[in-house]
Amino acid sequence: MTLKTLTSAAALVGLLAAGTAQAQMQIDPALPTYQPVSGVAGSLSSVGSDTLNNLMTLWAEGFRTFYPNVTIEIQGAGSGTAPPALIQGQAQFGPMSRPMRGSEIEEFEARFGYAPTPIRGAIDALGVFVHKDNPIECLSLAQVDAIFSSTRNGGLDAPINTWGDVGLTGEWANMPIALYGRNSASGTYGYFREVALFGGDYRAEVREQPGSSTVIQGVASEVGGIGYSGVGYATADVRPVPLRATDADECFPAEGQYAASGDYPIARFLYVYVNKNPNEPLEPLRGEFIRFVYAQQGQEAVMRAGFFPVNEFLANTDLEAFGLTPSGS
Amino acid sequence: MSTEIADRRATGTAQTVNGRAVRRFTADVSAVGEPALWGFGGALALGIILIAGFLGLIFVNGVTTFWPKPIAVVETVDGRMLAGVPTRTGVYRPGERIVEAMTPEQRAFLEENQGFSERTLFRTANFDLTGDDFTWVSDYQKTEVTFPADFFYFERREWGPFVGRIAGIVIDDVAIPAEAVDMALLRREQREARGRFEQIRRIERRDIGAVNYRIEQERLSRRRAALRHGADSPQAEAAAAAAATRIAQLEEEFRSHQDRIAAIRAIDRENRIVLETIDGRQKETELSQIVRFFAANDLSFTDKAGIYVARWHEFLTTEPREANMEGGVLPAIFGTVMMTMIMVVVVAPFGVITALYLREYAKQGRIVSAVRISVNNLAGVPSIVYGVFGLGFFAYTMGVTIDQLFFPERLPSPTFGTGGILWASLTLALLTVPVVIVASEEALAAVPRSMREGSLACGASKWQTIRYVVLPKALPGIMTGLILAMARGAGEVAPLMLVGVVKLAPALPFDQFFPFIHLERSFMHLGFHIFDVGFQSRNSEAGKPMVFVTTLLLLTLIVAMNSTAIIIRNRLKRRYATGHF
Repeated sequence: MTLKTLTSAAALVGLLAAGTAQAQMQIDPALPTYQPVSGVAGSLSSVGSDTLNNLMTLWAEGFRTFYPNVTIEIQGAGSGTAPPALIQGQAQFGPMSRPMRGSEIEEFEARFGYAPTPIRGAIDALGVFVHKDNPIECLSLAQVDAIFSSTRNGGLDAPINTWGDVGLTGEWANMPIALYGRNSASGTYGYFREVALFGGDYRAEVREQPGSSTVIQGVASEVGGIGYSGVGYATADVRPVPLRATDADECFPAEGQYAASGDYPIARFLYVYVNKNPNEPLEPLRGEFIRFVYAQQGQEAVMRAGFFPVNEFLANTDLEAFGLTPSGS
Repeated sequence: MSTEIADRRATGTAQTVNGRAVRRFTADVSAVGEPALWGFGGALALGIILIAGFLGLIFVNGVTTFWPKPIAVVETVDGRMLAGVPTRTGVYRPGERIVEAMTPEQRAFLEENQGFSERTLFRTANFDLTGDDFTWVSDYQKTEVTFPADFFYFERREWGPFVGRIAGIVIDDVAIPAEAVDMALLRREQREARGRFEQIRRIERRDIGAVNYRIEQERLSRRRAALRHGADSPQAEAAAAAAATRIAQLEEEFRSHQDRIAAIRAIDRENRIVLETIDGRQKETELSQIVRFFAANDLSFTDKAGIYVARWHEFLTTEPREANMEGGVLPAIFGTVMMTMIMVVVVAPFGVITALYLREYAKQGRIVSAVRISVNNLAGVPSIVYGVFGLGFFAYTMGVTIDQLFFPERLPSPTFGTGGILWASLTLALLTVPVVIVASEEALAAVPRSMREGSLACGASKWQTIRYVVLPKALPGIMTGLILAMARGAGEVAPLMLVGVVKLAPALPFDQFFPFIHLERSFMHLGFHIFDVGFQSRNSEAGKPMVFVTTLLLLTLIVAMNSTAIIIRNRLKRRYATGHF
């Protein structure tokens, strides 16, 4: 289920912040300001995505300003580590930068008898980054596929090996493309493969990096480099390339409003999975954390981490799935 | 006499030719050893240069990071204004399309430099307003660079730094425009605001923390009663009722603390500052949000030194904020030292006892040499393997069992059944125990046979000989092994990532609640912090200087711990050198 199909359905009901052409996305003013309640203490631990590492930390820091005695531990080694940690009970929160696979959900169900519930607390536009001096203006998904994959399910006939193959001239024409990507434990790896590579396989030449930020640093250090990473990790040394879904489409930059509207082709939700028994209410600790995520302060943390906030409709839908009401009500 | 002649023949003799001393070799060059000497000397020099260069790089970058830097205001050709802290520069060749879009003057400028241009990376900050922290500006784009005195560098609690002017302040809800702002007043108000912030923190930590902790205890006691006597038993119901009344009291207390905080926050909101970026955008924020501010271009040397010291102080004594990008590393320092100490406490007796048995008691034979070979091989096992073992054995097997036996009321939340400082220390102890065994064995073997025999001849038993003669004599050597183990343990990160090191563990492993030391808690580690800030942070550019500072700190810490151990060893050496024989 990609963001596009989901949000286009939502857009029908007119629920998305429609086409606000601002450089910076605003937090939905309808979201409540977080109001603390009494009796929240204990410890939480979170194991999972490295993309969400900083965001989880910011959420934890924010949550702890209300509940100083809560201890929150955060480990981020890749989305693939979240499901086992949730199943083993090692973690209460399993941040993932891709939805759980069917097999992972089955394993979870086999142990608990119900499926895990996701918090969709932020939107990320997965950026395809090039070196800051690279003049490339736009890439189509088929081109991205031909650059990164060996299978070329996107439909191009020949692999793209040099920058000249995507139309650059002059000194760029013969410059080979150096590929940077994530390691296979990463949700970004899986999501990019599914959406940008159309389910194909990566080339053997992709240099697999252990973290989102390392991909950026790799691209920054090599003029002919290209890599994919969460857009929040961008620095001044790299540039996200605007993308288009097909050759007939317009190019959309990796910005908040295009990510939220689904126009930017590789936007995604960032998930935090929770073990919620449908027959029992959540205990206050986890419940309040989830309410915090969907409050003004939680969504401000999303922006501080460089991702894009979600709107009230989505927040209320997810809160309902947890049997919670928005904070302050 | 004859050896002297042979020696002279081999190395050659010094003769005087034209007033200069010339060495003449009379033997084959391979016999002389001179080339080998040059080779050895060269290898040593290369090693020293590499290490000195590495340490120098860390030291220079680490020491200069906190020194306040000026704010440059740059005007570009297209009339844009930009304010930022210059961080680094680089030379590049602008691409064809950029050259096409240039003005004739810019093109002339480029041609003068053979098509190359220099560019500077400015830290423009203001992430909340602009969405980026850094901007590159090429030399051909600049028209003027100034360093105006009215630009301030604000370090904020959230959103990272802010670079801009003060557009006004609001004190007790009375607005004071920029022209009338008295810096002394502003400084005083900011200090007061920080004081209020600290006060809120204290109430939250100490008072509300205690209330929350006690509520949690009540909830656990209720659950414990339910587990022990059954959920519907009268005991469980009594416990639940008692807990409910106490929780109600505690919640009352909680509300009173919260009212206190709300009162302070209300004052806080009346004291604000209006910040203005160079392009006139304004941002109003509470004064307590400002950690530190200074007019970067209007500082005397003493002012700069003061800021430098204050920044180090903050770094060493506070907790991290902004996902470890800013603030301090106190929990990481604490975690590193505590973990190393626990590791030494475990590894020292374990390693020494093993070595004693192997060397003094065991019958030397096939089995002992097999054990010895295994120990030596253990030292070569990759550290991540120990991490996997630690996770599987300590956390998942021992920890889960401990949880089921002693903390059933907390399940499914694990107490010991997950990574923690105890498991991490034990894992590292396993990792370093071969080093200690090998070093201790060597030290024991080096004790002269005559001393043992002397002691035995005086009528001492074997144990008395070991206790009063062999061990004291071998102690300095054993200490050397421990020092090596400590250095290895403190610098090891890979296995820790599996058994308890986390990105954020704001609670130190001790607090005011029984049993005060919480060995089951996860912890932060300086080595992991370096990895995290360098490769996992949102803005790797801003993280780079912090990597150097943290590395410098970790090195200093390891040197300090090792020096302490070396001093202790030297004391022991002196004490036992004269004490016997």
